[in-house]
Amino acid sequence: MAVTGQQPPLTLFVRLKLRVMANNMRGKAWRIVLFVLGLVFGLWWSVTALFLLAAPGFTDSLDGAVLASALGGGVLVLGWVLLPLVFFGVDETLDPARFALLPLRRRTLVAGLLVAAMIGIPALAAVLATSGLIITAALLGGWGAAVVQGAGTLAGLVLCVSASRAVTSAFATMLRSRKVRDLAAILLACLAALIGPVQIGVTALAATADWDRLLGPARVIGWTPLAAPYTMGIDVAEGRAWAVPLKLLVTGVTIAGLLWWWSRTLESAMLGAASAGRAKAVARDSDASPVAQLFPRGMPWLPRDRYGALVAREARYWWRDARRRAGLITFAVIGVVMPVMINVTSGGLSGSVPPVVISLTMVFVGVLGSATLANQFGYDGSAYAANVVAGVPGAVELRARLMAFTTYLGPLLIVIAAIVAAFLREPASIGVMLGSLGAAYGAGLAVNLLVSLHGAYALPETANPFAINTGSGVAKSLLSILGLIGATAVAIPIVVVTALAGDAPVWLALAGPLGIAYGLVAAWLGTYVVGDMLDHQMPELLQAVSPNR
Amino acid sequence: MVKRFDTNVAVAGIDLDVPAGSFYGLLGPNGAGKTTTLSMSVGLLRPDAGTAWVLGHDVWADPVRAKALLGVLPDGVRLFDRLSGAELLAYHGLLRGMDPAVVDQRARELLDVLALADAGRTLVVDYSAGMKKKVGLACALLHAPRLLVLDEPFEAVDPVSGALIRDILHRYVAGGGTVIFSSHVMEVVERLCTHVAIMAQGTIKRVGTLDEVRGDRSLEDVFVEVVGGRTATGEELAWL
Repeated sequence: MAVTGQQPPLTLFVRLKLRVMANNMRGKAWRIVLFVLGLVFGLWWSVTALFLLAAPGFTDSLDGAVLASALGGGVLVLGWVLLPLVFFGVDETLDPARFALLPLRRRTLVAGLLVAAMIGIPALAAVLATSGLIITAALLGGWGAAVVQGAGTLAGLVLCVSASRAVTSAFATMLRSRKVRDLAAILLACLAALIGPVQIGVTALAATADWDRLLGPARVIGWTPLAAPYTMGIDVAEGRAWAVPLKLLVTGVTIAGLLWWWSRTLESAMLGAASAGRAKAVARDSDASPVAQLFPRGMPWLPRDRYGALVAREARYWWRDARRRAGLITFAVIGVVMPVMINVTSGGLSGSVPPVVISLTMVFVGVLGSATLANQFGYDGSAYAANVVAGVPGAVELRARLMAFTTYLGPLLIVIAAIVAAFLREPASIGVMLGSLGAAYGAGLAVNLLVSLHGAYALPETANPFAINTGSGVAKSLLSILGLIGATAVAIPIVVVTALAGDAPVWLALAGPLGIAYGLVAAWLGTYVVGDMLDHQMPELLQAVSPNR
Repeated sequence: MVKRFDTNVAVAGIDLDVPAGSFYGLLGPNGAGKTTTLSMSVGLLRPDAGTAWVLGHDVWADPVRAKALLGVLPDGVRLFDRLSGAELLAYHGLLRGMDPAVVDQRARELLDVLALADAGRTLVVDYSAGMKKKVGLACALLHAPRLLVLDEPFEAVDPVSGALIRDILHRYVAGGGTVIFSSHVMEVVERLCTHVAIMAQGTIKRVGTLDEVRGDRSLEDVFVEVVGGRTATGEELAWL
């Protein structure tokens, strides 16, 4: 291209994204399968949502339309912001850092990346789902309302995408720098906690089945950026066309603000690690011997041998590697917030919570915690070659990894059980909680060892801890879901026993030790069986986790 | 040994004999299959056919014995780089089943010799390219292997570090060790190696002692001829 300062058209970014997506799948049958699975899953979800959102139109219910548009829109926008942080990661098919050397204006780059980000299954699903609101608007308010709603739906998509990009980009920049990681943790906690009040409100109000009481909050939400774009057409149908320009303004200002925020953090993402607070020395006594330096002070019981070295290295990595740390922090927040919310809303306010519910939520927490390991070898990348060359026995490798991870997760799980017990004011059920946690965590570890070996995939070498390659976005969520289902299945006996035993004092006393023992046995069996598989597949595993270059 | 990636043949049948005590250079242009060959020889990549022997031990049938004799510096030196140099060496030593006291003593010595002791508290991820190569080499040397397999040990290394690495490798071979390394830097190979193999398109094109391969010409001339390079006529790129 001649040096004229002319900026490329946005279609170029779209073509680039499509080309990269296609090339990623070329000759890789499993990636195509995963893509199709993702597409099917996305379509299934969005068609369901479409019917739900279109229902008020068919039943001729204006109130229903207000509720559907405000609450549906709000949930959608929140989902776009939170889910990438928590589960799926951001699709970095077009890594901003790759554009750093090109003479692109920031405005062009942001617009281009934004447009490119709208190509993909999530955006398609969101558009399809929210078009249910267009149907509702058309049935209730005629063509004018439908056209306004259509424009609003598109604006909503732009809002969703820019919000998700801005938040993840900002969050990634923060996590990269070790100094502000605590701040990042607090931010994430706040974001995740946003789910809480909404959930409590919705559940409490839905329980009373008094939809009129929801109308007020829904109308308020309709004026916030969360749902402003999605409620425009309904406003027209209700004869309040004057609201449309105001809501467009709310949406436009929000989008502009988000894009500005994104472009700020984008710059630091493009400059890459060079500016992100490098050259961090490990503040420690350098006179200590190398072996003493390797082993964390907090783990003096580790043997000074191969197993001990593996545990020590893993333990250091869970804290020093931004990607792993992101996994730990997100789990810490969700692990505390989610069970408290579920248990409190499912009757904690009125009185006692059945042991089965407590047990089930704890199983979910334990399983979710162990799922952090689902791609544990992917975190290592090609550095795993060191272990292959040294010929580490598979069982030793896996036992060490579980031990290191558990030194972080174990205390965390106990704290979660204590917090939930305190919230419910049911100290007697702490045994059931610990037992369910232990059983689910151990079972989850065993299942995720298997997943981490057979479902390992390479993470891109970028500084963004949430980055994943396209295709592996589906792979990642699919594998985590498979792991979650499998682990829950293995852990279910403890829930069944709890359901049968109810409040029997014997079980309240025995559940703790029995559940933990169950988990220990499951994890041990896992290292034994999967370790044997690993012994025969080390080179293949290394290849799977090495990024293509 | 043979290796295919999908339809792409990376290594199309290679038979290489590296004499014990030799300083062996594996030459080839980018994409010739050097890294693939070395990876298959040390047990990092499973060959589609064939195997590798290290001092009488089959790498793929008897990996434990063979790997104990091997020291490896993989390409791109992706190390566990969230550790400091000392921590990384301790990790590698213990991973090899060495006694902690020996690990401490050797690691300290290696860090001193390789001029990495000053960086003792910095994480390897923050090292310069040359320092990363040096600490990677230290990891490969720590357990005193009998065979060193180095992939591009002189790539992106400054002259001072390069000279240091050369000295250490010289001393290692003089002490009875064997070195095989890949490179496309002719001067280094010409200065160091006793034996040379030139690879292109997944096969060995020339092999033998350094003098056998180059004859009375320079190694670079032989290399360009074997690989089939082209020379610029001066006509193209006139706009530059």
